[in-house]
Amino acid sequence: MGFQITFQPINLLYCFAGVFLGTLIGVLPGIGPSGTISILLCMTFKISPVTSIILLSGIYYGAMYGGSTTSILVNVPGEAASVVTCLDGYQMARQGRAGPALGIAAFGSFIAGSFSVIALMFLSYPLSKFALAFGPPEYFALIILGISLLSYLAQKSLVKALMMAVFGFLLSFVGIDMITGKARYTFGIPDLMDGVGILPIAMGLFGVAEVFENLSAPEERVIFKTNLRNLLPNRQDWKDSAGAITRGSLLGFLVGIIPGGSAVLASFASYAVEKRCSKHPEKFGHGAIEGVAGPESANNSAFGGGLVPLFALGIPPSVVCALLFAALMMHGIQPGPFLIPEHPDVFWGLVASMYLGNIMLLVINIPLIGLWVQVLKIPSRVLFPLILLFCIVGVYSISNSFFDVGIMMLFGVLGYLMKKFDYEPAPLVLAFVLGPIMEQGLRQSLKLSGGSFFIFFTRPVSATLLTLAVLLLLSSFFFKKQRAVLDEREKSV
Amino acid sequence: MMRRKESEVVGSFFWMAIGIFFAVGGVKLNVGTLRNPGPGFLPVIMALVLIFFSLFTLVKGLIISSVRPVSGFPWKRPALMIASVFFYGLLLELVGFLLSTFITMFILFGLLRGKSSWTMVFIYAAITALAGWLVFSVALNIPFPSPRLITIWR
Repeated sequence: MGFQITFQPINLLYCFAGVFLGTLIGVLPGIGPSGTISILLCMTFKISPVTSIILLSGIYYGAMYGGSTTSILVNVPGEAASVVTCLDGYQMARQGRAGPALGIAAFGSFIAGSFSVIALMFLSYPLSKFALAFGPPEYFALIILGISLLSYLAQKSLVKALMMAVFGFLLSFVGIDMITGKARYTFGIPDLMDGVGILPIAMGLFGVAEVFENLSAPEERVIFKTNLRNLLPNRQDWKDSAGAITRGSLLGFLVGIIPGGSAVLASFASYAVEKRCSKHPEKFGHGAIEGVAGPESANNSAFGGGLVPLFALGIPPSVVCALLFAALMMHGIQPGPFLIPEHPDVFWGLVASMYLGNIMLLVINIPLIGLWVQVLKIPSRVLFPLILLFCIVGVYSISNSFFDVGIMMLFGVLGYLMKKFDYEPAPLVLAFVLGPIMEQGLRQSLKLSGGSFFIFFTRPVSATLLTLAVLLLLSSFFFKKQRAVLDEREKSV
Repeated sequence: MMRRKESEVVGSFFWMAIGIFFAVGGVKLNVGTLRNPGPGFLPVIMALVLIFFSLFTLVKGLIISSVRPVSGFPWKRPALMIASVFFYGLLLELVGFLLSTFITMFILFGLLRGKSSWTMVFIYAAITALAGWLVFSVALNIPFPSPRLITIWR
């Protein structure tokens, strides 16, 4: 039934627009999928929820395809999940093998993308049935575990990541209290009655802050001039990367399900695994095709993985999923175990569109590679003012007031400073989105139990989840973290 | 140039201040009881957690010996950009979308001009303003404020 929805001309058009735009911003360094999705989110209020989700998802997995092009040809990641692709992809380009590198990245992404859609299809429904039995204590525990995992996996500092999560929760309390109807932290400002919007925050942190950050980056980009006629990998290339693509798809999907296990982490994990599995690890860093195929598959597969908890539990595991969560909420759809039974059109429409979108991406990436190389020549001095304008107009259009623009600029400055001082924005955004559910879970649980915290430990599911969270956080304080994957990152940067 | 140590300490105080702000506000909102938690219940808990963590980073910041400076911290161009956005907000109400966008984009492109000439900056700004007007105002129908000073174009 999903295909009936996807094949409606309007959805086909938006799916194409999504993946096209996604590839475009994936190719362009300086603006990532999170920023773009927030901008587009402002402009999709009027279209139907299915169409809007199809468009926004298309941007994300499109960006995963596009990012590899920049990594391979310029040695600059087009977006964060393609950082590792630079290591071997650029080396391949220097050896005159840019074509096969680009080709294997696109085919690997396609295989992994298709795999993750199928896995998503089979996993979401049973999991959502399981989650139907969840009450307020389970939701509270689930969110605490999710945020702990996210902070644990934070690349820089656990304490700072936790601080950002707590700050995100605090921000989510601004506005009318859902239970008592009391205005909290609004200072009588009418614009704050509904709370701070997710869009000004996300656009500030991922759009404006990105622009500020990149203003200081060097301007020059050297595009590798190479023969792009032969994009098809040869038989040996396929033989070398078949294992990498399979492992990358599986690993990416699993990492994507974990809160905090973003596409970025998936690609690093896959690179580390490939290096360890390889019979000739010394080739890595000198143009090993597995080093391109694995991570590029993993970062695509991670998106499908991330949709599992979003659709089955209503818990977004990454920033992009948090934005999709916000998009669904804006259309009056509550993500959670009831989503698939109550809005099957949204879920199956999206699944079908992802099959189709991946095929479209293969078509627009391989023959049109020349076009994307041209896109790379757009200088950042032209790009950044345009991104800023899009952010301003986008935020302005939500409520036709400059109040939100001010909030966005505030978070732009904050995001810029946070980046400079090693505070990560992802926990903030996720905690902000999950704050209301968590608070409701806690307050209802306490009412149910008559004020006793034991309710969280007498119910098996919540007890398990909370124990895991506590163990996780304690372990990182007492033991040195096993940071194999992250060490890989430090070496590469 | 700020050093690592100083930046950690300043950051800790910043988050501590935010924590205290939310804690005080939460207490005023009525914390309630465990049996019946009020609107200020979770905000106070979270604010206390934030204060606790900021004390942790403060102590950590004070004992680290590293005096490695924070990598380059340019603030002039971001500050100018923020100023121009603020200016854009004022201008939009006065002269409408088309003209204010042109002026602001002229400033922004000018700020990042690099080697290109002012003529190019002028052309870029004009194209952006026109295209933006067509897309946002005509196609997407976003209601921008009607200009108070000049009423030729919206």
